[in-house]
Amino acid sequence: MTAGPVRLNVNGTARVIPDVPGPERLLDTLRWRLKLKGTKEGCRTGDCGACTVLVDGRSCLSCLTLAHEVDGSAVTTIEVGPDELLVARVRAAFEAAGALQCGYCTPGFVMAVAGLLRERGTAAPREELLEGLGGNLCRCTGYAAIVRAVDLLRTEAP
Amino acid sequence: MTAAARPDAGVKLAGTAVFGTDVDVPGMLWAAFVPAPLAHGRIRSLDLRAARALPGVTVLGPEDLARFFGPGERDQERSLFAQGEVVYRNQPLAVVAAPSALEARAAVAAVTVEIDPLPIIADLETAFPEWPGSDVGASPLVAAHVHARHGNVEDEFRGADRVLSETYRTASVHQVALEPHACVAEIRGEVWYVRTSTQSPFGVREDTASLLGIPESSIVVDGTWVGGGFGGKGSSFLEPYALLLARATGRPVRFALGYRDEFRLGRTTLPAVVRMETAVKDGRIRARRVRLLLDVGTSLPGRDFATGYSIGFLLGPYRTDAFEVEGYAVRTNKPPFGPHRAPFAPQCAFVVESHLDHVARELNLDGEEFRASHLWREGESTLLGQTVGPFGIAAAFERARATARAWRAEAPPGHGVGIGCGFWSTSTGAGGEVRLRLDPQRLVVLEGEREIGSGSVLAGLTAVASRVTGLPRDRVAIEYGDTSVAPYDSGVYGSRTLGALGRAIEEASVALRRTLAERLGARGQAELSVERGEIYAEAGERRAALTLLLTPDEHDAGGLVADGRHYAPSRLIDDRRVLSGTFYPYTDFTGAAHVAEVAVDPGTGAVRVVRYAAFHDAGTVVDAGAAQAQVEGGVAMGLGAALTEEAIWSDDGRLVNAGLLDYRIPTLGEVPPISVEFIEGFAGAGPFGAKGLGEPPIVPVPATVAIATRAACGAHVTELPLSAERVARALKLL
Repeated sequence: MTAGPVRLNVNGTARVIPDVPGPERLLDTLRWRLKLKGTKEGCRTGDCGACTVLVDGRSCLSCLTLAHEVDGSAVTTIEVGPDELLVARVRAAFEAAGALQCGYCTPGFVMAVAGLLRERGTAAPREELLEGLGGNLCRCTGYAAIVRAVDLLRTEAP
Repeated sequence: MTAAARPDAGVKLAGTAVFGTDVDVPGMLWAAFVPAPLAHGRIRSLDLRAARALPGVTVLGPEDLARFFGPGERDQERSLFAQGEVVYRNQPLAVVAAPSALEARAAVAAVTVEIDPLPIIADLETAFPEWPGSDVGASPLVAAHVHARHGNVEDEFRGADRVLSETYRTASVHQVALEPHACVAEIRGEVWYVRTSTQSPFGVREDTASLLGIPESSIVVDGTWVGGGFGGKGSSFLEPYALLLARATGRPVRFALGYRDEFRLGRTTLPAVVRMETAVKDGRIRARRVRLLLDVGTSLPGRDFATGYSIGFLLGPYRTDAFEVEGYAVRTNKPPFGPHRAPFAPQCAFVVESHLDHVARELNLDGEEFRASHLWREGESTLLGQTVGPFGIAAAFERARATARAWRAEAPPGHGVGIGCGFWSTSTGAGGEVRLRLDPQRLVVLEGEREIGSGSVLAGLTAVASRVTGLPRDRVAIEYGDTSVAPYDSGVYGSRTLGALGRAIEEASVALRRTLAERLGARGQAELSVERGEIYAEAGERRAALTLLLTPDEHDAGGLVADGRHYAPSRLIDDRRVLSGTFYPYTDFTGAAHVAEVAVDPGTGAVRVVRYAAFHDAGTVVDAGAAQAQVEGGVAMGLGAALTEEAIWSDDGRLVNAGLLDYRIPTLGEVPPISVEFIEGFAGAGPFGAKGLGEPPIVPVPATVAIATRAACGAHVTELPLSAERVARALKLL
C-alpha cells in the first residue's frame, strides 16, 4: 500500500485525510492527524485494548488496523456526541458504577462494551458479555466496578 | 455500597482528559533512546556521525552534556548516559530527536557502537550460587548492607524445641500502568518547562535539577492526567532527556516510551531470595533469623532504602522477642530497582505467612491460631523498637477466620481456603502543603499533586475539605498547579496523600474559619453553610454572606486564602538494635487479613481463585466508594503477582517477556468476586483518624493465595508466582 487519501466517516462527520502512508495505523491517524486523543495508545501490539474503537459498529483494535484497510468506513470513537445513544448509555453506566480510576483504559472499555452490546444485545448471557471483555486490560479497578457497569446495562431497558 | 460519582468521570468518559501521551505541541520533535545492545561491557567507540547527518535529526551523547550545558553541578553518581561502561541492556548510550517517530527510529539505527563484552551478572543465582550456604559480606557486588538484632538470638535457638529453616524466592513484578511514560519538554525563555505524566511533579523537578546540574528554580514541571502510576512514575525518567533535546534543538520535544521499552527500562521490583529460620519452644516463636538477598540491578540511590525499608516486613506483624535480620542489596546487570505498589511488602508477606503456616504444620498446630496468637497488638514493639499505634490487624484476622470457616464448610473437594495477612506503614511523614481559597461560591484546594486514579486527591481530599469546612462536596474544587505556583508536595506515593495533605487541609481550614470568625467579631471558628447558592459564615451571634466578609483585595485575588502544612513528627528508632546500615522508621500502621478460596487443577497445577474477601483496618474511612475501589483494584493486582506475573531475564541480561502477551496481568475473567469490609476503630495519623489505602490492599494477596493453594492440594510452593508449573513441581507432577 502506498500513501494516499483515506476517507472515513468519524463520529458522524465525513473526513478525507490526505497523504496517509500505507503502513500507518488507524490509531495514529485518529490521534495525530485528526487530533482525536481520546483513543488511547497502550501497547500497540493488540494486547491491552486501550485503543478500541468501533468500525462500522464493530469493535476494532485501532493499533492493529491500518487506516487504508478501513477506507470508506464509519469510525466511532470516545469523542462521539450524546446523540450516539448506545455509547451515551455505556458512559452513563460507567459513571454510575464508578467504573474508572486512572481512566486510561476507559475509552477502550466503553467502546468495547458498546460494540458487544450492539453485536449481542443486553439480553445476551452475562458470561458471554464478560468473556467479550477479556481483551481489555485494566490495572486500577480489578474490573469489579466495570462488571457492575455491565450489570447495570443488562438490567436497564434498552 | 453504592459508589460515589467521581469528579473526574466526565472528562475521562468524554475522552477529553489529556494524559502525558496526549500532549501535542505544534512543531514538536519525537525522541528515542539509543540503547546498549548488551548488558555489560566497555564502550570502545560510539559513532553518532551517520545519525547526525540525517535531515532534521539531533543526537546527544555523553560528551554533549558538558559541551551544551557547561560544567554544572551534575549528579556524578547517576549519569544520563552510559559512560565508558555499559551496566545493563538497553541502557541509554545517547538520545535522538527527529521530526517523526519513524525518523527517530531510523536515526537510532544509524548509530554504530563497539562494546567489548564483560561478564554478565544477570541474577542473584549467578552472583551467589551457593547462598545461603555461603557468605556474601565481602563481595564487591554488595551495594548496601543492613543488619539489626535484638535479644539473645543464639541462646533461644540453642534452647528451642524445633528450628525450622526454609529458603524462598520471589520474582520481579512490573507496575504495568497502561499509560507508558510520556512527556513533552519546551524551553520558554529561561524556563525549562516540561509537561509529564507523573506521581510527583516536585520530585521530577528536584531530580531533573540534580541530573542536569541546573537550579530547581529554572525548571517548571506541569503534571498531566496520569494513566496509572503504581510507583513507576515517582521520580524523573524521560524528562531530563526531553529537556536536553529541547534546549539543543530550540523545539518542543515529545518523549514517550513504547510499551516494550516500558518493560525493559522501567524501574521496578526485582527478584529476591530470603532465608527464614524460626526457633519454637512450647508452641511459641522464641527467635527468628531472616536473611535477604535483594536484587537491586544497577541502582545507586535507593539501594539503602530498598533493603532497609523492606527488611522490616520480613518479620511480619508478629511478635518475636529475639531476632536477627540481615539484608544485602546485590548489584546485577539489570536496570535500576524502583518502587512498585507497597515496594516488596507483598513478597515479604508471602514469605512470612507461608513460612509461619509451614512452621505450624510441622508442629501439628493450627496455622491460623498460631499466627493469630502472635499478631502485634497496639503498644507492642516493632523490629526497630518502635511502638505500634492503633492497629486493627488482629480484629481483621478474626473476621477473616469467620469467613474462612463458612467458606470451608461449603468448599467442594479440590478447593482450598486460606488466610493471609500483611501490614504497611504509610508515609505521612513526608511533607505536604496546601492552600485553600474561599470565594462566595466555592472552596478551592490548591495543591501540587495530580489525581493518578486512586481517588486520593479527587475523592479523598475533596471529602476531607468538605468535612472540615462543613461545605457540601459539590462546593469543593481541587485545583492543580504546576511547580511554579502550587504549594510544595512530595508526591503521590507511600499511601501518603490522604494523611499528609488531608491534615494540611485541616490546618488551613482552621485558619480560614478563624479569620472569618474574627471578621464577624467573634472568637473560635466560623461555621460555613450554603444558602440560595451563596456561602455564608456564622460565628457568635453574627452571620454574613461571604461576599460581604471579603476585602476588595481578596475579591480581586479570587477569595480568602489560608495555608496549611503537615510534617509528621519523626518517629524514633532504637539505635541499639542497628548493627549496620540505614533503617527507616514506620509511621502509621495499617493492616489487613484476606481470605481466598482457590481451586487447583489436579492434572496441571493451575490455580484458579474462586472467591476472595478482604478485611482492612484503614482507620476512619472518608470516602466509602473510593476506599472499596482501592481494595478491589489492589487485590486484583496482587492476584497477578501471586499467579502469573514474573519478569524473566535470560542469562545474558535480556528481559525475555517484555510485552503484555507474555507478561500476564489478570484479565476480567480471571478476577473473582471480591468482598471488602473495613474494620473501624483503630485511628490513624490522617484526618479524623484516616489511614492511607493505596498500597495496603496488595500486601496480603500472594500470601493468601499460597496458603489457600496449600490447603487445596498440599503443594508447598516457596517461589512466586505460583504458576501452574511451580505448583505441579511441588505436587511432583513434573
